[in-house]
Order: sequence, then structure tokens, then C-alpha cells
Amino acid sequence: MSSAPDALAIRDTGDQRNHRDARHDRWFRWLLMVCALLVLASLVGAAGATLWGGRHAFGTFGWHFLTSSAWDPGNDVYGALVPVYGTIATSIIALIIAVPVSFGIALYLSEVAPPWLRTPVASAIELLAGIPSIIYGMWGLFIFAPFFSAHIKPWLTSYLGDSPDDGKVSWVAAHVPFIGKLFASNYPFGASVLTAGIVLAIMIIPFISSVMREVFQTVPTRLKESAYALGSSTWEVVWDIVLPYTRSAVIGGVFLGLGRALGETMAVTFVLGNAMNLSASLLDPGASIASTIANQFSEAVGLQKATLMALAFLLFVVTFFVLLIARLMLRQLKKREGL
Amino acid sequence: MNTLYLRRRMTNWIALGLSVFATLIGLGFLAWILWETLRQGISALDLKLFTKITAYGADGGLANAMVGSLIINFIGIAIATPIGVLAGTWLAEYANRTKLGETIRFLNDILLSAPSIVMGLFVYTIVVLPSTALTNGNTTFSGFAGGVALALIALPVIVRTTDEMLRLVPSTLREAALSLGVPQWKLTLQILIRAARSGIITGVLLALARISGETAPLLFTAFGNNFMVFSPMSKMASLPQIIYQYANDPGDAMHALAWAGAFVVTMFVLLLSLASRLVLSRNKVSHD
Amino acid sequence: MTESAAAGLHPQPAAGPEAVAPTKIQVNDLHFYYNGFHALKGISMAIPEKKVTAIIGPSGCGKSTLLRIFNRIYAIYPKLEARGEVILDGENVLAPGYSMNRLRSKVGMVFQKPVPFPMTIFENVAYGIRHHEKLSRADMEVRVEKALRDAALWDEVKDKLKQNALGLSGGQQQRLCIARAIALRPEVLLLDEPTSALDPIATGRIEQLVEELKSQFTIVIVTHNMQQAARCSDLTAFMYMGELIEFDGTEKIFTKPSKKQTEDYITGRFG
Repeated sequence: MSSAPDALAIRDTGDQRNHRDARHDRWFRWLLMVCALLVLASLVGAAGATLWGGRHAFGTFGWHFLTSSAWDPGNDVYGALVPVYGTIATSIIALIIAVPVSFGIALYLSEVAPPWLRTPVASAIELLAGIPSIIYGMWGLFIFAPFFSAHIKPWLTSYLGDSPDDGKVSWVAAHVPFIGKLFASNYPFGASVLTAGIVLAIMIIPFISSVMREVFQTVPTRLKESAYALGSSTWEVVWDIVLPYTRSAVIGGVFLGLGRALGETMAVTFVLGNAMNLSASLLDPGASIASTIANQFSEAVGLQKATLMALAFLLFVVTFFVLLIARLMLRQLKKREGL
Repeated sequence: MNTLYLRRRMTNWIALGLSVFATLIGLGFLAWILWETLRQGISALDLKLFTKITAYGADGGLANAMVGSLIINFIGIAIATPIGVLAGTWLAEYANRTKLGETIRFLNDILLSAPSIVMGLFVYTIVVLPSTALTNGNTTFSGFAGGVALALIALPVIVRTTDEMLRLVPSTLREAALSLGVPQWKLTLQILIRAARSGIITGVLLALARISGETAPLLFTAFGNNFMVFSPMSKMASLPQIIYQYANDPGDAMHALAWAGAFVVTMFVLLLSLASRLVLSRNKVSHD
Repeated sequence: MTESAAAGLHPQPAAGPEAVAPTKIQVNDLHFYYNGFHALKGISMAIPEKKVTAIIGPSGCGKSTLLRIFNRIYAIYPKLEARGEVILDGENVLAPGYSMNRLRSKVGMVFQKPVPFPMTIFENVAYGIRHHEKLSRADMEVRVEKALRDAALWDEVKDKLKQNALGLSGGQQQRLCIARAIALRPEVLLLDEPTSALDPIATGRIEQLVEELKSQFTIVIVTHNMQQAARCSDLTAFMYMGELIEFDGTEKIFTKPSKKQTEDYITGRFG
């Protein structure tokens, strides 16, 4: 072999290079791990920073912080109840609307639509997920809230509310408890808890429906085919086979949407009205944790700033656990798929 | 028997009809939102939008906000891309199936949908407050702080796509390189990341699209500025923040400017997501 | 001869012209485990220098596993363990102190599917060399051309060295991988079912190439294709269920094997 001297030269330096390669590999591995740990650090840091920033609020108000509806910058007295209620109420409304609609879309895209239509419609729905939340907010403020105020709100107050404009209390409001209070109108504008919930619903529909569609597609075809072979209708296959098979992941998708809704700032801030008072009516303006922070943080000082930090901590912890549940539920299906 | 059959068929038709209806609702709202953004935005489009700054208010434009957005987004992506790619590489290549790796991958997924406003407060605490302390109490909001906040939001997107794309690279490629005696760091940087390149670029584009519309984290970091500034160490305007400010202003002229800004942001984001799809599909072709 | 193989001693190739060559790789009582599964059970064999040794057997018999121990590529995955000796030029490559760079520059490998790196044709070949040697640009060009010529690919790619290697056909890609491996001037070339992803024409060219490369390298080829083993190898080993059943001159294995299992497999009664 003509290359024998070269080959020998390689061999002599081989051990040296071995050590150098091993050292570089170690450094590289280390660098990569530090970067990955930064991901962890940003999570822990966000929780830690808001807890630290909010320590005076927690210290001053104690457990009472969670149950107090006070919000009085003049006397420096704050409670979390109004924004916490607003956050939960808007998110629940959003889920009540978004879950059935998302399910319908997922059903349409996975079982009903002709194949050539599936990709374009799915892409269009995904487009909805790509629109920045501030655009939802603008649209909600300038287009939807006036529309809601002019067309939907009067209908709701006169058929469901207990203090309609014409004074005639509807049958529903008179006979079903609470409904009247929920749909009472005390202010003449479109911004309200219900409006915010609806805008939020539109925002989270693409998230939930794309998760549902994805998990529906994991159902083995043989399972569906054997049900069709028994004469089941499309709906029966979905209700009896697909849904039970994917139940945990579907719930995971719903929780993912809930996590989004709880933490959403811009879409809500524009249409919630930012009123720091507690009202039973869904047609009254309110405040959410995120909208309160967005509105007040820049000008807040002292205890008010600490309170907003404390609210952010609450929000972060709650969304963390909601998203944790979501991911755990979604993972169950993945595990089964892997088997 | 016959009535049962009829009832089952009815249920089926109603359910499927409702699913069509739900899809129409979704598409309807999409069309409505896009249509209004286009209509209101285009009617407010004007050359002064790109030439004048926000200091002139209703007679001004959005030039400083656009420049500010570009700078802040650039800082965000410039910070998040190297860290995200390396972290994603660690998850896929070094920590796949280890406990720590699985935990970080899981928490990264959670971070993907974590409330962005809290990330803003986090950066306010770790960047703005310390620099305030260093400058004797002048509050030092800055474009840089805004960029850091956006980087935190872009990071999990890039980590996840890098992780997923690298795991799609066939292990034979690793074996082939290692069988030549190439060390793992070279293999990773020069071959694997190159093989997953278009997927990683897609992730970066998606992350850019995601942060381009972010408003909440910028309010307490970059803050805003009515003048044109290029230094990342000064307060800086951004399109979403100006939209937020102008939309809450009572004046109609300001609303028109807000719509114009909304139109620009939406177009930018939609073009980015289109571009990311193109990158990915071109990649698929080249692999055949 | 038959008795010693059955007793698990080192089976030697049959006497004949092939057996004269000195031993390049001596395998002694090699065991392999993954996740507790005993995949190789006491393999012992002597692979002669500058010959083509084929390893055949039904899928799952451990033939690829054996090959992947020769250059320790298995070690990149966790929970895999090899016990025993693989002696290359008098040194045990499984010993912890054995230099990986040295092993990988002495033993080249080509895989089932062609795996070009995502770079130009030239860079594909130059990439490995660059890690082991510092060459001037001119020297590198000479080395790359030599490797491509040896891999019978030069004439097809000499005008498009700057193009992406992913644009080559499957057969060309596989020859590029062979060029990449022999560019390091290894002494042993391991081929792991190199033609299983190729069409018959590309397969023919690779087999012809193996014949030509035999004068320079010790070649070990794993194949599921018995005709291929018969066509291009000097010696053939038959493995079954993690054991080496028979190792002998190719002609002997395919005409009068000493073991019933070998005969059954060759005649297509199982596998």
C-alpha cells in the first residue's frame, strides 16, 4: 500500500487528537446543557421575580388578598377578587363557546369534509391562530363591541335580563333564578365580561380545534372501519369510537385553550372595560388579571405595583398548572400511540 | 326498527350539519377580522405612515414604531436563536430519553403558551430594575429590555422546532459521520444542524411571527418613544405598543393610524407564516 | 474441522488458496447484549487480510450487530455491551484505551442506505479527511479525486463536484459513501448490506467495485442476498440466532456445507 507512511503518521497523532476531541465534546455538551437549563431558568425566574415583586402585597394583605374585592389606590388597599373573577369568568365563557365549535370544526375536518377541502380549510383555521392578539383586540373594540351593543345585548337583556329597557320582565328572567342577574344591563356600552369571553373564544378556537383534529387522526383506521362495517353512522363512530379513544387528549386540548385564555392580555384588555368593581352581570364591564396589569403597571408605585406583581404570580402559577394538566393529558395519547 | 333507523339517521344529519355550521362560524370570524383589518387598514394607508414619526400625533406616521419594532424583534431573535437551537440540540441529541431532558422538554412545551405579560414583568425585574438602580433612579426602559422579553417568548418556539427537526434526522447520518472518526460536536454543528436547517429556519420564522404581534411584554420593557431612536439602550416605540396606545385614544384620526399599524403587523405576520411554509415544503422536495 | 466449530472453538477457513492470507481481524468469544438480550453468543472467527468475507443469515441473526462491533459504532447508543475480543493487527479494539480516532481511520464503514452529508460532493469526501489530516488544497483535491476514482464515481461527478450530493442517484450516493470511507485510507472496509436499497444495475456496479477494492482493503460485507455473497466473496460466514454456525470458503459453503442448518438456509428451506 503506497499510503503506509501517511497511515503511520495518522496513528502517531491519533491518541492526542482523541484527547482533544473528547475535551471539545465535553465543552460542547456543557454549553448545550447550559442553554437548555436557561429554558428552565426562564420558567423559574418568571415565577420567582413576580413572587419577589409581590411579596409586600402578600405580606400586607395575607390570605385576605384573595377574597377582597377592594381596589382603592387612594388608600392603598387592594384585593385580587375582581381581576381573578374577571379572568375566570371570561375564560369559562370562552370555553363554553369554543369547545363545541372547535369540536365541530375538528369533526368536519376529520370525518365530514371532502378530502380536497380539508387542507385549505384547516390552513384557514390555522391562519386564525396566527393573527396577533392585538388585532383581535382592535377588532373587538371597534367592530365587535359596537355590534354586540347594538344587536346582541338588547336581545339578551330583554329576553334573559331582569331589568330590560321596556320594563317587561321576560318569562325566563322571572322563573329561572340568577339568569336575570347574569344578563342585567347597568351600563350603556359594548365592553363587558361576555364580549371579552366571546373574543377570547374566537382566539382559542383554532388552538383547540387543531389539537382535536390531530388527536382524531390518531385513531386507528381499522377501529373506525370495523364500526362502519357494523352499520354505524359517521356521528356514531365519532361519538362511540373516536371520542372515547381520544378522551384524555381532547381534554388536554381544552385545557391548552384554557391556559391560553387565562393568560391572554390584549384581546381582553380592549373589550373588558377595565372596571374594578364586582358585578354579577356578564353584560357589565370588568377586569382580568392581565388587563389590570397592562392598564395600571406603568403608573403604579409602591404597594400597587407589588399588588400587580402578586397578581401576575397568581396568574403564572394557575396557568402553569392548567397547562401542566393539558400536557399530561396530551401525553397519555402519545404514549398509547407509541405502543 | 324503522323509527330507530330513522332516528339514528336524523341524529347523524343534525350532528354533521352542526359540524359544518361550526366550521362556517370559524371561517366567518376569520373572514370578518381579516376583512375589517384590510378595509380599515388600507383606507388609512398613506405615505406619511412610513416617513413621519409619532411625535406629530394625528398628523404623524408610524415610522419610528416600525423601526423600533424591527430593532426589538431583531434583538429578540438574535438572542433566542442561538440559545434555542443549542438547547433544542441538547434535548434531541444528548438528553433524549433522560429524565432531565424529558423534564425540560415538557416545561418548554408549557412555556410555549405561558402568559406573555408575566414574561414582560420578569424582564422588567431582571433588566429594567437593575439598570434603574445603576443609573440613580432614572427608569431605564429600553429597546434592549423589550428584545430580551421577546426572546423569552421566541425561545420555546425555537427550542421545540429544533428538537423536533433534529429527531427527524435519520440516525444513519450520525453513524456515517461517527464511522469516519468525526467527534460529536463537529457532527452536530456541521452535519446534523445543516441537515435540519430548513426546519430550524421555519422555527425561527414562526418565532418571529409570534413575537411580531406581541404587545403586553413590551409595555413595561421597551415602553415607547415618540421620536425616532436607533440606540437599543433608549426607550423605544413598537408597532403593537403604538396600536394599543392609539386605539385607546378618543380621536378618530388616531384610530385610523392604529388600523394602519394593525394592517402592517398582520400582513407582516401572515407573510412570515407563508414564508415558513415555503421553506419547509422546498426542503421536502430537495430530500427526494 | 466440523467438530471444532461445533465445540465453539475458532473455526478456521478451509484449506485452499484463500486460507494462505494472514489474519486481519481475530474475533475471540464475542458476546453482545442489548437491554439484557443476548444478541451474540460466543462468536469466534479469523478474518483474513485483503479478502472479501461475507456474513449471511436470516434477519435478526446478529450479522449486522457483529459488523457494528468491528468499528465500535454500536457504542454511540446506551445500554449496549460487547464482551470478548476483537483483535485488529494484534490489538483488542474493544479495550477501553483503544483510540477511537485510530480505530475509525483504520476501519471504514458503508451503511444500508446511502447517507450523503448535506453538502457538496467534494465536501462529502473531503470532510472526513479534514478531521484526520491537514492537507493543502491541492493535496486534498488529489486525495478526493483518487477516492472518487477508486469508487468508480469520478467520471460521473467530475464536472459537478460543487453540487449538492443529495442530487445524485441512489447508486451514485452509495458509491460516494464508499469513496468517503476509502478516502481515509482505511485497512478494513465494512459494508452493511450496501445494496439493499439499490436497483439491480446499481447493485451490479457496487459488486464489481468490491471485487476491485479487494486488492487494497480487507472487506467484510453483510448481506441478506445469498447470490451476492456467492458472487463476490472469498469466504462466507453463516450466522443463525446469534451464533456463528459455519465459516468457510464461499465455494464450500454454497456447494457442500458441513452443517444441516447452513444447507437448509442456502437451499431456501427457511429464512
